[in-house]
Parts: sequence; C-alpha cells; structure tokens
Amino acid sequence: MKWRLAFVGTYIGRSTIFALALCGMAVFCTGSSPAFAADDTITIGVVLPTTGSESKPGQYQKEGIELAIKQINDAGGIMVKSKGKKLKINEIFYDDGTDSKKSAALTERAMSSDGAVAVLGGYSTALGTAESVMADRYKTPWITTGAGATAIFGKGYQYAFGTLSPVALIGTTSAEFLGSLIDQGKLKKGLKVAMVVENTDHGVDYVQGFTEWSSKHAGYFEVVLNEKFELNATDFSGVLQKVKTSKADVFLSDAHLPDYITMHRQYLQNGLHHQMVSYGARGPEAGARQALGAGTDYIFSGIWWSNKLPYPQAKKFADDYKAFAGHDVDSWYAAPAYDGMRILAKAIEAAGSLDKTAIRDALRKAQLKDAVLPGQVLKFGANGQSEYPFVITQNKPDNKVDIVFPKDAATGEPVAPSPNK
Amino acid sequence: MDAVEYLDLLLKALLLAGVYAAMAVGMTVIYGVMKIVNLAHAGFLMLGAYFALELFQRFHIDPILGAVLALPVFFLFGMLVHWALVRWLPKSDTPTLASLLLMFGFLLVLQNVGYLIWGTEDQSILTPLTLSSFQIGEISIAKVKLVVFVAAVVCMVVLQIVFHRSWFGRSMRALIQNPYAAKIVGVDDQRTARLTFGLGTAFAGFAGALLGMLYSFSPDFGRPFLLRSFVIIVLGGLDSVSGVALGAIVLAVLEIFSTAIPLPWYWHKWIFFYLPPSYQPVVPFALLVLVLIIMPKGLASLFNRKWKTA
Repeated sequence: MKWRLAFVGTYIGRSTIFALALCGMAVFCTGSSPAFAADDTITIGVVLPTTGSESKPGQYQKEGIELAIKQINDAGGIMVKSKGKKLKINEIFYDDGTDSKKSAALTERAMSSDGAVAVLGGYSTALGTAESVMADRYKTPWITTGAGATAIFGKGYQYAFGTLSPVALIGTTSAEFLGSLIDQGKLKKGLKVAMVVENTDHGVDYVQGFTEWSSKHAGYFEVVLNEKFELNATDFSGVLQKVKTSKADVFLSDAHLPDYITMHRQYLQNGLHHQMVSYGARGPEAGARQALGAGTDYIFSGIWWSNKLPYPQAKKFADDYKAFAGHDVDSWYAAPAYDGMRILAKAIEAAGSLDKTAIRDALRKAQLKDAVLPGQVLKFGANGQSEYPFVITQNKPDNKVDIVFPKDAATGEPVAPSPNK
Repeated sequence: MDAVEYLDLLLKALLLAGVYAAMAVGMTVIYGVMKIVNLAHAGFLMLGAYFALELFQRFHIDPILGAVLALPVFFLFGMLVHWALVRWLPKSDTPTLASLLLMFGFLLVLQNVGYLIWGTEDQSILTPLTLSSFQIGEISIAKVKLVVFVAAVVCMVVLQIVFHRSWFGRSMRALIQNPYAAKIVGVDDQRTARLTFGLGTAFAGFAGALLGMLYSFSPDFGRPFLLRSFVIIVLGGLDSVSGVALGAIVLAVLEIFSTAIPLPWYWHKWIFFYLPPSYQPVVPFALLVLVLIIMPKGLASLFNRKWKTA
C-alpha cells in the first residue's frame, strides 16, 4: 500500500511537472524572439497580434513595418548626427496574441528592458488603448498603426502618436457618401438607418461621426436603431431580429474582421437585405470574401487606404509589398504601418540622436511628404493623432473593389441601391 | 415585435441550442467518467474544423460527411492522447490541479501546432448550403444551422442508446454514479476511461467540423465556446448527458431572448427595459453563478427531486 501511495505521489509530481513543461513549451512557442541590440543599431519595438482573433490584420501591419525597415536598412540605415554615421534598425517583435493585458506588458518590456527608442503597434482600438498608457510612463515615443479611436488621444499623452485618421471620420465620410447618393437621386431622402456597432471606443466614435453629419444635414437620415454588441460574439440572432423589425433602409455596422464575417454570415442566413450595407472600415478583406463569396458584394466601407489610390508611391508600395510579403496587399492594414515606420525614421534623423524626448519632439514636427496614405502627406496633430481623408470603397462582383468616394479618387461608379439577389 | 417574430427567435434559439449541445456533449462525457475538466476541448474543436476543411479543400468531401468521418479519426486520436498523457494523472473524484494544468498546456500545444500547420489566417468552409435559408412566411431558417441541429440531435440519441444498451455505456454510467462500487463489480476503469476519452474527443472533433460550417476559424478557434460548454455542463448537471440538451436549450433561449424581450425592473414603479446586446455575454456568466449557488447539481436535479418525491 505504501509502495502504491508513493507511486501515486510520483505520478502527481511527474504529471504536474509534465503539464508545466507543456505550458512552458507552449508559452515558448507563442513568445517572441527578441534580438539583442548592438551599439551601432537603433532598437525599435513592434507589438502586434499575429495570433488570436486579430492575427490577420496584425500580420499585415507587421509586414508593412518590416517592409519599411528593410527598405531603410537596404539604403544604409538612418543617419544619426550624434553618432556621426548611419545606423541600421534592429526590430524587436512581440506577438501579443490579441490579448490587451499581454499587449500592455510587452510594450512595457520593449520600452524598459529591451531599451527600444520607440515602439510601434497596437492594432485594434482595444489593444492600442492598453498599450497607450506605457508611452508616457516610460517617456518613449509610441506610434499606434492600428488604433484610431479618439479616446486614446484625448488623454493628454505626450509620447503617443497614431497613423490612423480618427474613427469618427469613417462615420462622417460614410454619411457624406450616402448623402451624395441621395443628392444624385440614387437613394431617397429620409433614409431609415439601423446602426449596430461594437461596444468599444471605435464603435462609439463611428456613431458620433455619423450622427454629427446627420444632425447638420436635416432630412437625410433617420436613425431607427442604435445598438452595440460585444467583441468576438458568436451569435447575433437577437440584434439582427431588431434590425429586421426596425424596417430600416440602410444597415450600418462598425465591426472588426471576425465580427464582420460572423455577423454578415448570419445577416445573409436571416434573409436580410438593405439598400446599402456597411461594416465601417471592414469590407474588401480577402478573408471575408472567401468566407462569404458573393454575399459581400456591394458592401461599402470607409477605409484608411486602398491599393486603387492613384498615387505612384501607392502603386510602388503595393508592388514592393507583394515582392516582400509574397502576397497582394489586402485592404488597408499595411499602409498606415508602413508610413508609421517611415515617419519614425524621418523623426529619428531630424532629432539627430537616439534621445527619446528629442525623437518625440521631432515626431511632433515631422511630415512625410510622399506618404502612401490618402492626401499623400502624413503628419501628427496637436493630440498626436494624424488626420487625413478617408476613401469609400465598394465591393463589386468577381472580387472587384472600386473606390467610389470622393469623386476625384473614384475608380468606379457606386452601385446604389444594392441589388437584391 | 409581434408573435411571428418571437416564433422566429424561438426557432433560432432552438437551432443555436443544437450547436451548443453538439459542442458540449464531448466535454460532458469526459467530465462525467474521469472528473477531468477538459480545457483541451477547444483545441479538439479547432482540429475538427480544420479536419473538415482539409477534406473539403483537398478531396472535395462535403463538410457534413467530413464531420461523420471525424468521429472515428478523433476517437483514435482521443485514445492516443489518453494513452500518452491522461492516464498518468492521479485518480480523483474531483477535478485536480494537475488535470487542469495538463489539459490547458495541451490546449496551448494544439493551438501552436495549428499555427505551425495552418498559419494565422482565418479559414472558412463555403458551400452552397452556407448562406442559404428556408423562408416560411416571414420566418427564415438557415439550412446549415438546421443540419447542425439535426446532427446534434442524432448524436445525442446515439449517445443515449450507447449509454443504456451497451456494455461500455453501462460501465460509463456505473463509473459516473459510483466509481468504487463499479470497480468492485468488475468494471475495468482504465479501459472505460480510455474509451470515454476517445468518445469525448470524437464528439469534439465532430462538433468542430460542424462549427466550421457556421463560423470562420483560426487555430485560436474554440475558446469562446469553452465558457458556454462549462455553463451547459453545469446547467445540465455536470455529469448528465441528457442534461446537456436541456442546458443548451436554456442557455440559447436566454441568450437570444435576453436582448429581444423587455425585462421588468422595479424602481418605485414597474418599468420594462431591453438588455443591450453588448451585455449578452453576461448571460452565460450570470447563469453559471446562479446555478452553482442555487442548484449545484444542475437543472437535472429538479427532475431527480421530483422523481424521488414521487
């Protein structure tokens, strides 16, 4: 009996150790591979989700940043006056696994123990918000390439910057676009609008932007439903039933990619149809079109960048990205990340040293005059957030996408109302 | 909302219950016999979805058939996992820390293996069935959800038959009811546990393949379903397979109707309000807490009490 108990005890110890070893192995697999910085390099931290629900946009942003780093390093690096020579960029990448707590901790690690002179990242408002608090704490410039909610930039942070135009502008531009369709006689005035947005600052900003335009242009829209949903939901039956009951003409949502796919799948399964449908900044993603096929046709979206933009640098970026990443640029995600790294390089050069406060000061004044983003100039406002126009794209059959608004950038005519197949 | 719309919602809740039951049943049988809270269940669901995807993309096998094929494959995989890992765990009448850690670690390993093989991209199975629906008047029923519902019902019925008509089922029930007495009367607990783990894994793979028809998935797939599986198991009575169906229905109905019907609240006078959809995730958490406090043995205990009284 004693022998048996001892044996069981051995089992407990062995299995516990084995379980811990498995956990350790898994954590090791999900972790990062920080490189040790040499004296003659500039250490830049990058914290993005390449696993978890936001892995796809996170991966695209990582590729955008790494393309910029490669191009800068291939050109010899960044000239740092205080060192009297060009220094190459040493990237330290961390995957936050779409976990806001991990995201904040990894940003802290990059800024403190890794000695990064600046950190880029924070895809999605939720993760960006978590990271943003670290910038001022460690007095390290932080540029979010994927969080556009104004709440992040309304807190008076001195070291936080963002390459995404405010999310509220998506709502405003979407309203302006729908308004232009009414003016053209494609849609009728007094459109009933059902809004179902994610329960984040992103969703709040979107609604605010839309209603702001709507209140200034009386008679165009009547918001008949305004609901929020929780991120990464698995079932939208209840809220979609409310959309159905609202008898709206237009369905506007603001959702991240996984929720866009899940919600629109259930929208189609419920046999719903509206004159116009939008999921905010989501719409043309290849993943969604693969998942829903022709079901995504005619969805319009307000996005920060499109490969259809008629700028030579935007075309070059799309070609370079394809050669670097091995696939076409998908939607807008890579472009603000690419320009974010480039404007940081410009600021480091202007600062002439690797002093973080000097880089912060240089970022405030920096202007990227060959930006690939709409407007072609990237600079940061007084609150640290950049502001440039959005483009409205619309999905067309056979996986085509056109810029349909503003008119001077349009590559195709908007289809409105969308046909009921 | 009118009566037809409520009926529409009720049908959607029942179909959702089918999805929930399919995903929770595998976890229930493993808990019932082995008292292991199988956190790796989410990993098996994910592998099931990828199994159906691979069959669909490489061999053009319909995902429904893929789900059926997942049963024997995941049964063997489950037995292998049991032989390699689970059998070393200490025997206990209650879930142990070692088993929790082991299954959590194994979930992380499965996820990372998934990332290595399939990468980070979300995948979907798009068949002609995916987006189509029946239209009965104003009520629309998604065909794919109906298929999942029917598959879940068949799965539960087969499991009930196995439980009550086979030697293996009787051994399982004996171990669930009283492991010591079961061993005294000659039930081979190791063999039954191995087969049970295989069976639970088979149902997880089957459910994963079915869920892959409803949602897009990545190697991270399955975690949102894990909490719901816990709630269903707790609602159903922790070790009652028939309770799973009941738990799934209760959870699905409450989740859907909580945001669609006006709820009463008394503040100086009776007022009615709608629960915002953003509070929908509160429903399973609240249920979990309530059931653990009021009915720790689950909803099934209500019926048991009634039978005992009778």
